[in-house]
Amino acid sequence: MIILKGVKLFDGERLREGLYDLLIEGRIVKRIVPTGNMNMFEGAKVIDLSGKIACPGFIDIHVHLREPGGEWREEIKSGALAGAYGGFTTIVAMPNTNPPIDSPELVRFVKLTGERAKGAKVLPAGSVSKGREGKELTEMARMVKEGAVLFTEDGSPTVRTDLLRSAMLYAKDLGVRIMEHPEDPYLSENGQINEGKVSAISGLKGIPATSELIDVERCIALSRELDVPIHITHVSTALAIRAIRKAKEEGVKVTCDVTPHHLTLDESKILESGYDSVYKVRPPLRSLEDVEALWDALRNGVIDAIATDHAPYHIDEKDLPFEEAPSGIASLECAVAVVLDAWEKRNRPVSLDRLLRLFTSGPSRVLPESYRSLGYLREGGFADITVIDLDKVSRVDVSTWKSKARLTPWNGLSLKGWPILTMVEGEIINDI
Amino acid sequence: MEWRHKHLFDIDDWSREDIESVLNLASEFERRLDSKESLPSLKGRTLVNFFLESSTRTRVSFEIAAKLLGINVMNWATASSSMAVKGESLKDTVWTLESMGVDMIVIRSSWVGAPQYIARKARRARVINAGDGTHAHPTQALLDIYTAWKRFGSLEGKRVLIAGDIVQSRVARSDIIGFKKMGAYVFVSGPRNMVPLHLDALGVSYEPDFIKAVKEADVIYLLRVQKERWKASAIPSDYEYHMNFGCREEVLKEAKPEAIVMHPGPINRGVELSSEVADGPQSLILEQVRNGVMVRTALLYLYLGGER
Repeated sequence: MIILKGVKLFDGERLREGLYDLLIEGRIVKRIVPTGNMNMFEGAKVIDLSGKIACPGFIDIHVHLREPGGEWREEIKSGALAGAYGGFTTIVAMPNTNPPIDSPELVRFVKLTGERAKGAKVLPAGSVSKGREGKELTEMARMVKEGAVLFTEDGSPTVRTDLLRSAMLYAKDLGVRIMEHPEDPYLSENGQINEGKVSAISGLKGIPATSELIDVERCIALSRELDVPIHITHVSTALAIRAIRKAKEEGVKVTCDVTPHHLTLDESKILESGYDSVYKVRPPLRSLEDVEALWDALRNGVIDAIATDHAPYHIDEKDLPFEEAPSGIASLECAVAVVLDAWEKRNRPVSLDRLLRLFTSGPSRVLPESYRSLGYLREGGFADITVIDLDKVSRVDVSTWKSKARLTPWNGLSLKGWPILTMVEGEIINDI
Repeated sequence: MEWRHKHLFDIDDWSREDIESVLNLASEFERRLDSKESLPSLKGRTLVNFFLESSTRTRVSFEIAAKLLGINVMNWATASSSMAVKGESLKDTVWTLESMGVDMIVIRSSWVGAPQYIARKARRARVINAGDGTHAHPTQALLDIYTAWKRFGSLEGKRVLIAGDIVQSRVARSDIIGFKKMGAYVFVSGPRNMVPLHLDALGVSYEPDFIKAVKEADVIYLLRVQKERWKASAIPSDYEYHMNFGCREEVLKEAKPEAIVMHPGPINRGVELSSEVADGPQSLILEQVRNGVMVRTALLYLYLGGER
């Protein structure tokens, strides 16, 4: 038995008044009572967390674990541990591996390997098409039975609209949704950065904001027509936010997430850094106006989740001239701190309730119905808990990371606001 | 004089005085060579022309410039290098070159930011950008400025037209910065799909009417249409481009009589300019090539810390 003593409690929807003690028995949250009212059980481990915030375990619905086929970059085990050390109790593994996760057997492989990792829970996402070739649908029903929670071609868009439409309809009755990487492949072909001032100055091929918007509008049109939900991942532009906001107001079942890097970095970093590849990401870092639009969207509820798009690469692959380097930022272990620090520096423009929902009940609603409880902290529920300390200041140090990735824009930076304890089904993984 | 810059990535962080130092030194070196006086010596220094993208004129220009100063020159091209054949990383190649005692790396690459990357990896050697992708070509800009400066004496208030494939042009980007720093007014023309959308970031205006632009210009700078960089074809045909944005004899007749025609080369006759214009009296294209050697000699001298 474990007792988390004197915590503030965020239950998945709101921060409750007062302080609480939580009794964890086995894998379950047995009791939640106002602090001081808990009988002290003999042998219980008491962890005094006075004033820290206990939340439902954070959920990251967009993580690249690279296994199978890219184990030198990351493995399911290293990624699951990195997730837990970063404050996440559940992570969704993207299917753009080699081979891609396009069969029930591979879904099972990811699921079982994740279970053995003893880190964050690893939920597999399956690819929409066999071989990610964009032609034939995968065996979604069988894959769902093995544990697939989302279907996506992520890494690239679902190019054929007929396939996307068909997948959305097929997935509806399976209780899973399609997650789209929004991009028009022709508009963004060979693109390196955002099309804007920095592309004009640098000559680097720009990816216009319309590349994202066109696909977002396509998803909205299909969702509206079919009355089927769709999730749009790593939204990065004001244009796309505006379209999603309007669609939501009309009742279209569209959800979306944003990444910590698009919330905190803009295209000017590319020039300032002398074209350091650590700032190369897809979708690209956008303009300051886009960053502001994303914060506005956090504030007004257009965004449903914050997801890292953790994209680990080996240092030899990423430590190259900008144009040669692959796109992607590794961030699982500092993402929560990156967001909390930016939130603090911006004078808390979003209520804490809303911000914490984006890591908990928000992403859980993108998952199938049977996973919804993951986003809530309740008596009787699984003891997946993330405790955060908004006042903790610590430096990002990649040398201590569980992730195999070593290149991140925040390395060496001091950030305020960190997860200090991660518990997955009653097991403390990260207790700092 | 002490030169305050360690590497040359572009001239955006240069002052007008920096540019004038290079122009004056190039001019002095040119006078000495013309009067058969010897140039100062940087004997014992080693330069590598590290060309990851093929280029003959720029490489040879640097080679001649280095030899004028007595600098040892090595040419390191990708096709047969360990990078291409054995898969050696760029970082390891840079360290290898440095270990061999190279003092200066002149880098040409199709990758934007490659010079900055190499400078970050280099422990001692200085780096000069001889063209990085579609980003910058500072030595070309300096030789262009030198050519126009020699002709006009001062560039203050001169109107510089840069025409053609602006969006793909590293020459245009560096020239815009440099000519503006020298007090010139720079404007661009060309098909609208070859001009960056966010042109305001470059601080120049756009004139879609090429003939109107030519009429106003003191410098008519033509760029090569870089067809190899366009995924979807940007112009319907060479002929259509030539008729609308090519500098033809009939067009040049509209220009000021003292206007000069420049081009970074290699030229496409019958596309961005006609042979009559390329070989005509207003063309300074061959002079640009000669001036390139002078400017690069001055740059090597400054960057390798020569005493005057």
